[in-house]
Amino acid sequence: MSYLALLPEALVVATALGVVAIGRLAWLAGSSRRYLPPAVALVLLIAFGVELWAGATLSTYFGGTLVQDRFALFVKAAALLIAAVSVASADWAAEDSLHLGIAMPLVAAFGVMVAASAADMLGLWAGLELAAASAVVLVSLRRPDLGLRLLIVGAVASSLVLVGLAFIYASTGNADLGAIRDVVLSRAPTIALAIPTLLLLAGLALRAGLAPFHVGPLPVGLGASPLGAGLVIGLVTVAAAIVGIKLVAALTPIPGVFAPYAYVLSALAMVGGGAAALAVRSPRPRMAYLAVAQLGWVVAGLATHYRSGVAASLFLLAAFGVAATCGPALLGRAEAGEPAIAGLGAVRPVRAAGLALAILSLAGAPPLAGFFGELAVGAALAQSGNFILLGLGLLGTVLCVAAAIGTLRVLYIQGPIEEARRGAAAALPAVTALSTAGAVVFSLVIAGYGLFGQPILGLADQGAEALGLR
Amino acid sequence: MTHLTALAQASPSPVPAPGAGLFTSPFLLSILIWVPVIVAVGLAFMPNPRGRYDTLVKQIAFFTNLGVLGLLMIGYSQFENFLPTMQYEEKTAWLPSLGVTYHLGVDGPGIAMLVLSGLIGIVSVLASWGVRERVRSYFSLLLLAQASVTGAIVSRDMFVLVLFWGASIVPLALLIAGWGGPRRIAAAWRLVGYWGLGTAALVVGVLALYAASGGTSFDMDNLLKSSISTRVQLGIGAVMIVAAATRLPLFPLHGWVRDVLGEAPPGVVVIVAGAASRLGAFLLLRVLIGGEPAAAQLLSPVLAALAALTVGFGAVAALRTLDIRHAGAYLALIPGAITVLGLAAVSPLGIAGSVLSLFTGGVAAPLIACVCATVAERAQTRSIPVLGGLAPRMPNAAWLFVIAGLALLGVPLLASFAAEVMTFFGAFKTQPIGAFAVAAGLVLGAVALASLLGRVMFSAPNSNAPGVSDASPGETWYLGILAGALLWVGLFPGGPKIPGTEVPLFDPGLITQISAGISDMASPYALPTPGATQ
Repeated sequence: MSYLALLPEALVVATALGVVAIGRLAWLAGSSRRYLPPAVALVLLIAFGVELWAGATLSTYFGGTLVQDRFALFVKAAALLIAAVSVASADWAAEDSLHLGIAMPLVAAFGVMVAASAADMLGLWAGLELAAASAVVLVSLRRPDLGLRLLIVGAVASSLVLVGLAFIYASTGNADLGAIRDVVLSRAPTIALAIPTLLLLAGLALRAGLAPFHVGPLPVGLGASPLGAGLVIGLVTVAAAIVGIKLVAALTPIPGVFAPYAYVLSALAMVGGGAAALAVRSPRPRMAYLAVAQLGWVVAGLATHYRSGVAASLFLLAAFGVAATCGPALLGRAEAGEPAIAGLGAVRPVRAAGLALAILSLAGAPPLAGFFGELAVGAALAQSGNFILLGLGLLGTVLCVAAAIGTLRVLYIQGPIEEARRGAAAALPAVTALSTAGAVVFSLVIAGYGLFGQPILGLADQGAEALGLR
Repeated sequence: MTHLTALAQASPSPVPAPGAGLFTSPFLLSILIWVPVIVAVGLAFMPNPRGRYDTLVKQIAFFTNLGVLGLLMIGYSQFENFLPTMQYEEKTAWLPSLGVTYHLGVDGPGIAMLVLSGLIGIVSVLASWGVRERVRSYFSLLLLAQASVTGAIVSRDMFVLVLFWGASIVPLALLIAGWGGPRRIAAAWRLVGYWGLGTAALVVGVLALYAASGGTSFDMDNLLKSSISTRVQLGIGAVMIVAAATRLPLFPLHGWVRDVLGEAPPGVVVIVAGAASRLGAFLLLRVLIGGEPAAAQLLSPVLAALAALTVGFGAVAALRTLDIRHAGAYLALIPGAITVLGLAAVSPLGIAGSVLSLFTGGVAAPLIACVCATVAERAQTRSIPVLGGLAPRMPNAAWLFVIAGLALLGVPLLASFAAEVMTFFGAFKTQPIGAFAVAAGLVLGAVALASLLGRVMFSAPNSNAPGVSDASPGETWYLGILAGALLWVGLFPGGPKIPGTEVPLFDPGLITQISAGISDMASPYALPTPGATQ
């Protein structure tokens, strides 16, 4: 058994710890400012390469606690790419702490990786909490009040998840996901299993900020630093979705009982998110609501409970994770709302292009990553005969695209505000070679995701198959 | 009549078109789509400090379109009209897990639309020559919009079709919002709303077709040939009509047309009223007529009714409005309705007429809308009561206005004549009430046009009106090309003769070229020949 497949996790954890340690050493902290972000981005890219190379080997670790399958490979690779691009494209002048700002996305990515390869309920819960804790830390740096709010919301979500997990353990006598699946498949669905499943799904929906539970975490993202917002809207949501996917697969056929409720939730998210995105004008809230709407599509795919639906959701989730995490990072400070990004296309063309692609992808506009993911989910919905939900989703997407065009108009058609009136709240993002490279890589990923999507979609399909779905 | 019927059938003898074999490329259609996209991305990031290279940007856009048109004309001249199959096909697996293939190809109707798209592309650049602000962004978006329209025309995979169909919305909306008239924001939102609704309807229809045919492939070759129950076909046909009606547009989903054609800059009006909106009728032709004959038969009265309502509404609204650009926008509804009437005929002759009217309508609609825009621009007012007696002072615009009006009505010598004759001859047989209603609407349209021309061009001059100047050479050029295209197909469908030979350059002419594939498409609707032996 080779432990090479765990090298990416080891690299991520070691880098996060190293960066925090450097931040604590005053003599090293100052001189590290220039080279730390590119070095970390490079390490993450190496980890990404190792994951793709070594992660294809199926194996289990630590007595079966962690499992390396196609699902884990897909999710871990996506998490590493998201972390690398977000570190590279962030405007570090807009962050409160360079060292914690770098370390926390790594911790969040590690949390997602743990959840993705977890073979039991403990691993799932630990991964989710790790990702969520990193967001709390980053948010608290700028706004302790919002950090506290996120902590409380997270505690409620966590308690719901824990109670649900405990009930499932009590009902099935197992914490191992495979064993739970065997037990559940051998019995008819019972109310004793249905209730904890409902609690679990509610806790995960709250953690992910799925409408109408978005009222908890979403305002937090609006007040946080750019990367903090990216973590709340992006990586933490991805972690919750991953836990949801694994549990849904393990608890077959219980989640099927709740499919109608999941459909209602996803419809609320898709249409409500789109309408809210259209109603607000400030770029960060608009991006957050676009993310809520796209998350609705992810849930719609999961609710089909077919392999094709889950594969489509996974395919969309990766696109969502990249755009939702890196989008706020590309947006930068932008506290002044629309005026902060007015005419950005003329003064910061590469960054503006990245931002435009992030918004369009979250809106589901063709031919970008989000569009391909949503259409894949749409195909799964059509195959399951759920045309009402498909129609509602498309209505939400139309609203989202209209909202995205509003922001694009500000980016490219309005003139930039005068430098004298700009102030700190509307400060232009700093341009560095790394941030430009990050924005370029981000743009290539978003634009090329669907155009060269077959390997990704194929891997997502294998991932769904690895969960035992048919 | 016999001659008209013959036009709708494929050429009996396989005579290669002149020029065949001079140029062969397995990627011709991809080149037509992706070269403008690459140029658009290049333009978007091209350094242009303080607009220093604005003229260069315009030249790049012009020569890109000229190159595309040149390639297109070579492709057109080599198109073999005796073949009922798709030509210039490209087929590569794209997302096999979903059944998506990158499948492109053209048949007769496709080549007609491609010629229209190429022509519209170059005309839109010429019409945009006066753009002064944010030139780089403007032409970048214009090229993206053109590429997406071309992509939608040549798509042979429904997924690819949805992709290109939807991709045109964002650049066009930004062009209107950024460079339009005073009510440009409302116009852009209306375009997004209606076209977005149409795209959503298209996605629902495509996915329903995908699911009904087994969920294995989005390829039209499979989807449109799968056996689907009539009930499902009807549902799919209904949503496809909604998708088409938002694009073309057809009453009552025409809400964007007044604002968009009235507020957008001329270059964008050319694209929207030209090739982009014709995609609606093209979709009906491909999916409903070509793929679901049972639903097409059942829904044909609905199509005829929509066509009649659209023509009637356009004519009445043009009569009542006091804004010349709005009048042009309403009159631009008429050609689309004629096309739909031809489809509603569900007969080989009607379908052939509607395919030809795709081309003629795609030229006549932007011509009337842009002539009205030019008159409003040069007369410094859009108010019809203020305008008056302009013909002596703007002779070029007056001539073009008259040609545009005649083209809408389908008078002889113009290409729209042949299209309308074929359409009406086909439709009167199978949809007599609808055809009569459309004809009555056309009479109303003629009244509206005569009234508009009389008030604006040939009445007594208004001494209180602002100063007037004739259309500039640039405006005359681009409007002249549109008018010339209508005359070309109407008078010399084969084009000029190759020097030293008796062979016309575009032999055997657009009308014959488009017939390739129509007989195959129309075969389910062909009536049994009287006296034919079994």
